[in-house]
Amino acid sequence: MAGRTDAYVDTSALIAFADRSDTYHPLFRRLFAAPPSLLTTTLVVAEGHAWFLRRYDRTKALVFMSMIEDMTPLTVAAVGPKEQLGATDLLRRFSDQDLTLTDAVGLHLMKARRLRRCWSTDRHLGLTGVSLVVNER
Amino acid sequence: MIRTQISLSEGEYSAAKREAARLGISLAELLRRSLRTALPVNDIHPWMRYAGMVETGDARSSQSIDDVVYGRKD
Repeated sequence: MAGRTDAYVDTSALIAFADRSDTYHPLFRRLFAAPPSLLTTTLVVAEGHAWFLRRYDRTKALVFMSMIEDMTPLTVAAVGPKEQLGATDLLRRFSDQDLTLTDAVGLHLMKARRLRRCWSTDRHLGLTGVSLVVNER
Repeated sequence: MIRTQISLSEGEYSAAKREAARLGISLAELLRRSLRTALPVNDIHPWMRYAGMVETGDARSSQSIDDVVYGRKD
């Protein structure tokens, strides 16, 4: 688990892991069972928390936060003005897409840290050519 | 599956029945889920206890996060 970060984790990977109804649940269950070093952002955590709050309640949303705390191979990167600037550039570049700021920050971080793999079920995270784990065989 | 008997107070029993009805699951399933959350399932990978912690019934759940979080477009 130590060493170089292997992949970026998007909100969709965390939801697919937590929701046993999701088509990709078996895949992410398997991936998280033996994870490499992973990276995500505070925006992804905020999205995941909001998803549980909207879909369920504050109790489930707090359980989600415990899940993030327990996921020790997952580093949560802070998002500041520099990341926002990089993400805004990408939002302009892909202005024909409904890209969220969270997605754009993820794309920016993958580029800045030269990450080539992304754990996501969202095609937007593949816009810059990064390999989505759901498309790998 | 192993069958077992447990004793609950009246209050615990009715609260558990109400919660099971709210979730649309049996009392047994509710107790199994509660146990999974309480037990240290995997000391090496403690986050695995959260795998499948919810069941939305939506096979595309992870692909419609934006609709839930940000709302659908009109």
